[in-house]
Amino acid sequence: MKRLVYLMAGFFVVTSTLSGGGRAEVSEADLYSIGVFVPGVVEGSPTYEMLVAGVEQAVAESDAAAMKVVEGGFNQALWQQGLTSMAAGGEYDLIVTSNPEMPDIVEAVLEAFPAQRFLLMDAWYPGNPQVHSVMFNQREQAFLSGHFAGLVGRSGMVTPRPALRAGLLAGQEYPIMNEVILPAYLLGLRSVDPDGQVDFRVLGNWFDAGRAAELANSMYATGSHIILTIAGGGNQGVISSARDRNAYVLWFDSPGLSEAPGVVIGSTYVAQDRATYERTLSAIRGELAFGEAEVLGVADGYVGFVEDDRLYERHVEAEVRQAMSRMIEQMKNGDVYLDMSLR
Amino acid sequence: MIVNSLELMVPILIAALGGLLTERAGVLNIGLEGLILVGAFAAIVGANLTGSLLMGAVFGTLAGLALSALYSVACIELRSNIFVAGLATNLLAAGIVPTVSALLYGTRGVVRLAVPVSAQRIAGVSVMVPLAVILAAALHVFLFETPYGIRLRATGGNPQALVARALSPDRYRRFAMLCSGLFAGGAGAAVALRLGVYLPNISAGRGWIALVVIFLGMRHPLGILAGAFVFAVFESFAAAAQGFTEVPGTLLLGLPYLITLAAMVVYSALGRHARIER
Repeated sequence: MKRLVYLMAGFFVVTSTLSGGGRAEVSEADLYSIGVFVPGVVEGSPTYEMLVAGVEQAVAESDAAAMKVVEGGFNQALWQQGLTSMAAGGEYDLIVTSNPEMPDIVEAVLEAFPAQRFLLMDAWYPGNPQVHSVMFNQREQAFLSGHFAGLVGRSGMVTPRPALRAGLLAGQEYPIMNEVILPAYLLGLRSVDPDGQVDFRVLGNWFDAGRAAELANSMYATGSHIILTIAGGGNQGVISSARDRNAYVLWFDSPGLSEAPGVVIGSTYVAQDRATYERTLSAIRGELAFGEAEVLGVADGYVGFVEDDRLYERHVEAEVRQAMSRMIEQMKNGDVYLDMSLR
Repeated sequence: MIVNSLELMVPILIAALGGLLTERAGVLNIGLEGLILVGAFAAIVGANLTGSLLMGAVFGTLAGLALSALYSVACIELRSNIFVAGLATNLLAAGIVPTVSALLYGTRGVVRLAVPVSAQRIAGVSVMVPLAVILAAALHVFLFETPYGIRLRATGGNPQALVARALSPDRYRRFAMLCSGLFAGGAGAAVALRLGVYLPNISAGRGWIALVVIFLGMRHPLGILAGAFVFAVFESFAAAAQGFTEVPGTLLLGLPYLITLAAMVVYSALGRHARIER
C-alpha cells in the first residue's frame, strides 16, 4: 500500500513538473523551504491569489526562505496525490494550503509523513502537532452580509415589499455552508426584519454561469431583492441575471464592488493575505505554534465589510451605510460576537 | 419558466443541430464541447475588439469553424479515429483558450464583455429563440428535401451508393464537419454573449448534452428541437423547484440528467424492438 502511495506521489511529481505546475526555483538546502499547494488554480481566484501573495511577502521579507507554488487543478480527486507528492519529496519545511476541505485531505498525508508540517488557511484542524490552522469567522462574515441585505430590503433602494426575502446561491453544499454561512446570513437578515426569509439554492458546481443565471432569475422572480453569491465562476451568471432585472448582488471573501458597479453593491472580505503573511513569517522564525487552531474575525480585523470604496458610497443610500457602520462598530467592539466553533 | 426554458434551449439546440449533420454524414463530431468553449471565448474577444455584439457572434462561429476544420483534417484526410480526434479537440480547446486569454488579457480566468449587453427580444423572448427554431426547420428541409441533404444522409447510411455515382463521400463529411463547427461556435457565442462574460468551463457540459440530444431527438432536426426543449424545461424546473420544495437542491439538479438517461433507455429499447420486428 505504501509503495503504491510512493508510486502515485512520484507520478504526480513528474507530471506536475512536466506540465509546468511549479513556478519558482527550488530552494537551496539551507533555506527554510515553503511549498504552497493551491487546490485549484491561482489566477482568477482572489482567495488563492491572496494566499500566494501572503507567502511571497513573508519570503521576500526573510533572507532565509524560499518558496514554490504547486497548483492542484480543479480535480479534487487529485489534491491528495498532489499533497502526498509534496510531502514525499521531503524538500519542504512547511506546506501552506487553503480550503475548508483540506483538513480531511491533509489528515491522510499526516500519518504517512510525521515530520511534515502544514499551515492550513481558511480551515479548522486543532490538536495535531504537525498543523497550524487558521479559520476566518465566516459566521460573522455571513451575518454582516445578511444584515446588509436586510437594510437594503427595507430602504428606498428597492420597491417596498411586505415580506423580506434575500437569496443565497452556493456552488456546493458543505458543512460550513449549511451550518455556518446559511444560518448566520438568515440571522443577519432577521436582525433587521424578524420575519425575513432566505431563499437558499445550490448550483451543483463552481463554474456553470449559465445555470447560475437561471437560478438567479428564479430567485429574483420569487421575491429576492438581493443575492449573496458564493459560487465561484457561477457568480458571473448571478451578475448577468441581476443586471437584466435591475436587482442587486452581494459579494463574499474578496472586495467585489468593481465586478459590476451598481449591481454588486455590498461585499465582505477576509484578509487572507495578511493572515498568511504573518503566520508564514512566524513559521520561518520558528515561532509558529503548531497544534493550535485560530479563529480570526471582525474584532481581530481579518474579516470585514467593504466601506471605503467610492462605488459603495455612490450606489448605497447614506442611511443604509450609516446603519451598516454602526453594526460593524459593534462587532469590532465585541458588543456583537458570533461564535465560529464547529466541533 | 417557459421563456427561461426556451432561452436555455438555444445553445444546446444549435450545437446538436450541427452535431446531427456530422452524425448523418457518418462522422459524429465528439468535439462539440471544445468547439462551444472556443466559440464562447472568440465571441467575447470579437465583441471587445470591434465593439459589436454581432461581430462577436461572427468571431465565435468562425472560431468554431477553424477548430472543426482541424478536426476534419484529422478525421477525414488523415483517417484518425473520430472519437480520439474529438477528445483531442476538446483537450486542445481547453488548453488553447487559457493560453490565448493570458496573451491577450493577461488572465486565464474571467474575461468580461466591454460592450453593453442588449438582448434583442421578440414577444418577451430573446431573438435567438426564433432564430434557433428557424434553423431547425431549415435543417429539416435541407436534409430531407434537397438533393445535397439527401446525399449527405446517404454518406452516413450508404456511402457506396455515392461512390457508385462517382460522388465523393468525403466532400459531404467535410461539409458536415465544418457546419457543425459553425453551429457549435455559434452556440458558444450565444452562451457567452448572453452572460456578457467568458469564464473557464463556460461550456459546462453543453456539448456533451447536445450529443445526447441528437439521439434523444431520434437523429431528426425537429426531434432534436423537441429533445432540447424537454431537457431545458427540466433544467429550468430543477432551478425553480429549489425555491418551493424541501427536496435537496443537489438532488433536483440531477433531474434533467435522470430524465435524459430514462429517455435514452426508452430510445434504445424502441430501437431494439424495431430491429427485432424487421
